[in-house]
Amino acid sequence: MTKMNLIIYEGVMCCSTGVCGPEPDKVLIDLNQSLKKLQDEFKEMNVIRASMTFNLKLFFENEMISRLIKENGPGILPITTINGKIVARQKYLTYAELKKEVENSQSRIE
Amino acid sequence: MKNNGIYQLIEPGKKGEAKFVFFSGKGGVGKSTMSCTTAVWLAKKGYKTLLVTTDPAPNLSDIFTQEIGHKITSINNIENLFAIEINPDTASEEYRERIIAPMREILDENNIQIINEQLNSPCVEEVAAFDKFIEFMDDPQYDVVIFDTAPTGHTIRLLELPGGWSTTLEKSASTCIGPGASLQGAKSRYEKAISYLQNDAKTSFIFVLKPESSSLLETQRSSDELSKLGIKINFLIINGILPEEACTDEFFKKKKEDEKKIVKKINETFPAMQKLFYLLRDSEVSGLELLEAAGKFLYEAKIEDTKIELLNGKVREFQVMTDQKELYYLLTPLNGTRYIFFTGKGGVGKSTIACAASLHLAEKGFRTLILTTDPASHLQNIFGQTVEHEPTRITGVDNLYAARIDQKKALEEYKKRILDIVKDNDGETKKSVEEDLSSPCAQEMAAFERFINYFELNGYDIIIFDTAPTGHTLRLLELPSDWKGFIDLGDLTKKASDETKNKYANVIETMRNKEKSTFIFVMYPEYTPIIEAWRASEELKKQVKIETTLVAVNYLLSQDSGNNKFFSNRRKQQEKYLSEIQQRFKTPMIIVPLLECEPEGIDKLRELGRTVFCGKKNRCKFTPISLSDGIQPER
Repeated sequence: MTKMNLIIYEGVMCCSTGVCGPEPDKVLIDLNQSLKKLQDEFKEMNVIRASMTFNLKLFFENEMISRLIKENGPGILPITTINGKIVARQKYLTYAELKKEVENSQSRIE
Repeated sequence: MKNNGIYQLIEPGKKGEAKFVFFSGKGGVGKSTMSCTTAVWLAKKGYKTLLVTTDPAPNLSDIFTQEIGHKITSINNIENLFAIEINPDTASEEYRERIIAPMREILDENNIQIINEQLNSPCVEEVAAFDKFIEFMDDPQYDVVIFDTAPTGHTIRLLELPGGWSTTLEKSASTCIGPGASLQGAKSRYEKAISYLQNDAKTSFIFVLKPESSSLLETQRSSDELSKLGIKINFLIINGILPEEACTDEFFKKKKEDEKKIVKKINETFPAMQKLFYLLRDSEVSGLELLEAAGKFLYEAKIEDTKIELLNGKVREFQVMTDQKELYYLLTPLNGTRYIFFTGKGGVGKSTIACAASLHLAEKGFRTLILTTDPASHLQNIFGQTVEHEPTRITGVDNLYAARIDQKKALEEYKKRILDIVKDNDGETKKSVEEDLSSPCAQEMAAFERFINYFELNGYDIIIFDTAPTGHTLRLLELPSDWKGFIDLGDLTKKASDETKNKYANVIETMRNKEKSTFIFVMYPEYTPIIEAWRASEELKKQVKIETTLVAVNYLLSQDSGNNKFFSNRRKQQEKYLSEIQQRFKTPMIIVPLLECEPEGIDKLRELGRTVFCGKKNRCKFTPISLSDGIQPER
């Protein structure tokens, strides 16, 4: 089985949970938890959160992502990709949605 | 070289190994004067010297009468001398630019602008200013770097940060600190800075204080805090000692006695430390003239002669009267709770005047709460009883409550509240939230939240805010607008609930409403405190649309004190500045006399309140009606 990659490309942010502000960001906190859960279920998968602030390099490495941002502006973020295929843009997926996408792409590989 | 041990503390070591000298102490004690003096002195000896101020309300430009600002500036007519005033806004811009620069490759200017706004979070500012400060501890091109530091409580917080940050940096890649790639670099820079600070041969800490008990307490507190970080204070300069021969009348004889007691206490508290006592002067010396005189004293032990001539006849009294009715109109509730803010440069006597006002208003029947937002507050010394994080009643006075924002407790509360929001999430998530909560901006957020919540507290007719020195207070008062602006950007992340948004909007509205809020700038009649208050007042008007309501002028020499030339010179100078204050601020004025000794305890405060707010002792006819009859104050 080929190793899978789940990457979430995100805009600039101060910290990954959104607590560096008036209140924590529920969406980001839930995301954190979903990703942890997925990682436990799919141990072989690489799960990466790439924010423009901290991991800009990953944006450059992916031509499609760079182009999308160039054409649409950072408003198009967050973008979720699985093995390079875009499965969501402009929103974060829930745990159930993520799991479904991961399983789909797993079956494609197999 | 004749003097004084102090020279060894500032003398540079080997070429290419910079020496760092910190001047610290409570606001208004003369830190800037001493650091500028030292910088000029060293530059004239041929050492390449850099002077850095981290005070958010800097005055190096005033002292050298040239524009300095947020860039290393060569000082006119003094070879080898350079200075910089770190501006938190500019530091923040530079910091953001470092993050943004590589993004230009995929984003056009419009989008870069959007990113820039998204990054312009108030908490980035704090980090950026600190980062800039550290930059100068890593630059070997100067022989000496002199830091004219921000007032004490905050200075210490600034120094405490690296310890906390190092842990944050180790734990997680995404903190407020900045781009992941540069994190390791930042970590080693912070660690290097802290190790320099702890190294006596590399760094000297000189504390400046006034012969006043509040100043001594502050120094003692700082000394304790610093020693916990492995940092030693090396020297004390006690500034503004009354010349014995100028104390020719009862008032100043008593004042001198009081001063001697404090000096004795200073000697007992710091028995082994080297000290210098610097005399008060009869006139304001400014610019290079002052720096040279001070330099001769500090580093050559040359003392100027003071000749004291007695005056015949009566001394003139100031003719400034405040309309009492107007004053009460501005200080008492009209439309719900009245919020009164006392602010101004460090050392102008904000806390004392705020305490006297709170007692006075409480005794008029208003249920009054006085709250200090200054981490280095000495409210408890003024009241002579402990002041806690939660409002507690001042013993022996009806209607008077006091509280202080305890940074540590505020942070605990804040953490608890945030962790409660995520209590249903799994352990890993909670852990990552906890890590983010250990970032330096969480600390500021916590104190800020505590401050904001006081605007929703019921049961008080009057809430008095005794604030930290100017720069920090400006930041606190601007934060509701800054955060609201940031939230209003409507970014995908950082969406705040309507509840939070409304809360901020309400605080902004309340602070702007003259029927609800009163802003009082406290100063004494000398150039620096006036100009600093003026700038802050203008900034509040511009940034938050808050107008200054009143000015309080402290330490005025009264008619029955100072019957000689020395004090008549000072009185003339005060008169000149009083009219300057009136011309600039055009607000009603509260006049506070210089007192024989610092008012401590309820009785002395009551007397001060009557003198200040009723014009004469024991003759106060104003009787108001309390709005809060029957309502118990909330805690």
